[in-house]
Amino acid sequence: MKRKSFITTLALFATLPFVSCSKSESKGKLTIALLLKSKGNQYFVTCEKGARIAAAQINAELKVDGPINSDPAKQNEIVENWITDGVDVIVAACENKDSISTALRKARAAGIKVVTYDADAQPDARSFFVNQATAQGIGEQLIDTAATLTGSEGEFAIITGTLTSANLNEWIKHIKARHAAKYPNMKLVDIKPCDDQKDKAQQETTNLLSTYPDLKVIVSVTSPGVPGAAEAVKQAGKTGKVKVVGLGLPSENNAYVKEGVTQGVILWNVENLGYLAIMAGAAVAKGDLVAGATEFDGGKLGTMEVTGDQIILGKPVVFTRENIDQFKF
Amino acid sequence: MSRFSRELTVAGALGLLLLILAVFAPNFYHLQPFISRLTSQMPALVAAVGIALVIISRQIDISIGAQLSMCAIIASVAAGSGLPLGAVILTSMGAGVLMGALNGVLVAWVGLPSIVVTLATMVAWQETLRLWQQGRMLALPEGIQWFGLSQAAGQTAVISVSLTIVIAAAWAMKNLALGRFIYAVGSDAEAARLAGIDPRRTTFGVFVLMGVLAGLAAVLNLVQSPQVQPNCGDGLELKAIAAAVVGGVAINGGRGTLWGVLLGLLLLANVNPALTHFHLPPYWEKAIQGLVILLAVLADGLGRRKRPR
Repeated sequence: MKRKSFITTLALFATLPFVSCSKSESKGKLTIALLLKSKGNQYFVTCEKGARIAAAQINAELKVDGPINSDPAKQNEIVENWITDGVDVIVAACENKDSISTALRKARAAGIKVVTYDADAQPDARSFFVNQATAQGIGEQLIDTAATLTGSEGEFAIITGTLTSANLNEWIKHIKARHAAKYPNMKLVDIKPCDDQKDKAQQETTNLLSTYPDLKVIVSVTSPGVPGAAEAVKQAGKTGKVKVVGLGLPSENNAYVKEGVTQGVILWNVENLGYLAIMAGAAVAKGDLVAGATEFDGGKLGTMEVTGDQIILGKPVVFTRENIDQFKF
Repeated sequence: MSRFSRELTVAGALGLLLLILAVFAPNFYHLQPFISRLTSQMPALVAAVGIALVIISRQIDISIGAQLSMCAIIASVAAGSGLPLGAVILTSMGAGVLMGALNGVLVAWVGLPSIVVTLATMVAWQETLRLWQQGRMLALPEGIQWFGLSQAAGQTAVISVSLTIVIAAAWAMKNLALGRFIYAVGSDAEAARLAGIDPRRTTFGVFVLMGVLAGLAAVLNLVQSPQVQPNCGDGLELKAIAAAVVGGVAINGGRGTLWGVLLGLLLLANVNPALTHFHLPPYWEKAIQGLVILLAVLADGLGRRKRPR
């Protein structure tokens, strides 16, 4: 008994310097932990880049971790470790909404602030969600880009994932609404599902091109559809004559954009997403961003609007021949 | 009932569809889209030849889509590491052989039902790809698309190779011992065994052949664009099985020709382009294909009932 308490005391003394050290450090410097969905993924590598810029700017210590492959269980483990370490803020992209929420709630109970970005947790497991894009923002950016390329006239067709996909249908709804309101001289001739397969998008586009010889632009709301449509346009020898725009990753479309087959690839600015997530996390920790706030200081992004418990990153970016090489994800 | 009644019926239906398209949607016959469309169906045709042999031998393989995806991704990685085209093609077919052999061993020697075995391997390969590639698209190096030839030459090569496979398989099924073994084992494995055929070896051989053809189909798929998606084989099993069934391959084995499979595939493959050219909504595609399959199965059932026992 005596021996045991001696060891305990010894152990306590042994940890004391570390405890006091980390305490004093956290007093001056905020420790922010950034959770990625997957470490090797270029998309999250780019998020991390933005996060580092933000952390340097506000002089915070940044810890970054994530599973090697998208693995929800591993994400929980990382959050548990951060709770033990006693970080100030966790900024998380959630692989599995339900499984991570338990761990995040536990973190909040331990006094750690939690903000999500890219993929949300359950609302009661975090204070704010930094949302990369709204359905309206995506839909409108797609049709606006298509309109700019065609002088707001002529036939266009849409390639979607599946006809039952709720988020894609939501984007198409906004495309149609914007089309009806702003572009009366454009005509939507067809909407084709590609089952999120590039090869099927290629086949559907081949059929669209032969059915509608006057087709001016193909708009893909699903990422495999963009290179699929581009390959079909290229094989049909209609490069430049039929434009291709769509939501997708710059890396998957780089070659087609350079060749002039695809004119616009649309996605939110991933680096800025990482940046804003850290700014939001820091603002929550400092008490600058509390429930009910309508705006907060997003650093280099300016004053950001807060809607309910969400912060919207803003309008998506259009990757074109001029800027696509700067984006590696 | 004549021996080729099913083939004739499907040929008639296909002819009718092509005729209606010629009258109402002549754009369908513009050379480039026509050739591109045909080329894009060739991987499924090669896979359908394989699945026809599997079904004739009274087995099933629903892992072929996942096999094709695996072969395509393995081949892309091989190509990315700098292997020349020939080696890439062999790598793809080699991967197919291994996956086919695994199915073959489990079905023929362990004696497990092929639907369960291939369901398991299908899931295994799909999950392997998911973990390995995370849905990433792979870019192929130069010189792989169209085998490094021009688009027209590449398309001609894809179509010629595929039709050669159909012709060779049709000939082999009629004239080679293995072909006759497949029919015999599929009709009655016990009778085949008593006649001196080893049904296990035949079954194993059929699964390996299926793997080789899945590997070849993967190559024919990946040469058609400069990138490969890890889900490129998804849904192939249904397409190939449907083509075989519509083409007159009896689902309970022993009967069917590869000409029927070719016609069945072309009929089903043209439903979707026809809908687009007739300005009909894509919702109908699966419904019409389903109806065609149902008619084929019904015709099988009725045909069997009429046949004297």
